[in-house]
Amino acid sequence: MSTFATEWYLIAIIMFTGFYCMLVSRSIVRQLVGLEIVSKGAMLTLISAGALTNNLVMAQALLITMIVIEVVVVAAGLALLVKNFRVNGSADMWKLNGLKG
Amino acid sequence: MTYHTLLFLFTAIFAVWAVMARKLLTSAIMLALVSVCVALIFFDFGAPWAGVFELSVCAGLITVLFVGAVSLVRTVEEKSPENRTRFQALPPALAIFAIAAWFYLPPFLDELAGWARPGTGGGTIGLALWDMRRPDLLGQVLMLAAGVFVIKSVFPRRTENK
Repeated sequence: MSTFATEWYLIAIIMFTGFYCMLVSRSIVRQLVGLEIVSKGAMLTLISAGALTNNLVMAQALLITMIVIEVVVVAAGLALLVKNFRVNGSADMWKLNGLKG
Repeated sequence: MTYHTLLFLFTAIFAVWAVMARKLLTSAIMLALVSVCVALIFFDFGAPWAGVFELSVCAGLITVLFVGAVSLVRTVEEKSPENRTRFQALPPALAIFAIAAWFYLPPFLDELAGWARPGTGGGTIGLALWDMRRPDLLGQVLMLAAGVFVIKSVFPRRTENK
């Protein structure tokens, strides 16, 4: 097995872990943890592909964009969590309906 | 086993730990360790800019945000914890996936690597960010503005009724 295949095999395991977490949990915090893990897998995929094709500069530029987007998504998700906690008193994903205006 | 593969392995272990952790605080800390490992992988690949961003933003800022949020909801989570059975099923599920993937994924990935078309690899990160991917920068600014707008709309200013 080549180095590239080994890396992507481990990335597949990381992404599986993240997706599993998002699938089984109802807590908003754990959903975001799962999302973070999946996005880390995507980042590793991108940088590995960049290294393989000798295009690391482009891969880095894309990664920086991705990191910014990730921060905004997490901040928005945690803002929803705090709002949900204030209104419904829980961190349950299924109670987000209660935030309807 | 090389240093490189070891870092990937540590990332996977910390990711599983973050999902399996009973306490949300442990989960947030493990997530920070995942970020640190990913940043070290970036440095090892020869991508220092991405590594610095990952280390400062993901391992730093996002962890602070997570710890802040967790400290708020911790009491409720401890009072009515989630069903642990589904989380305890992760190791067997992951083992089944890993064994199945071991047989099917590597041949496909090796073929995928054969399709790669090597680029020139020239230029600097400054050139790539400011010249070649300028729309990305605009997108980043718009994304940050969207984030601020979301926070503003989720927490509107309270008007006192007299």
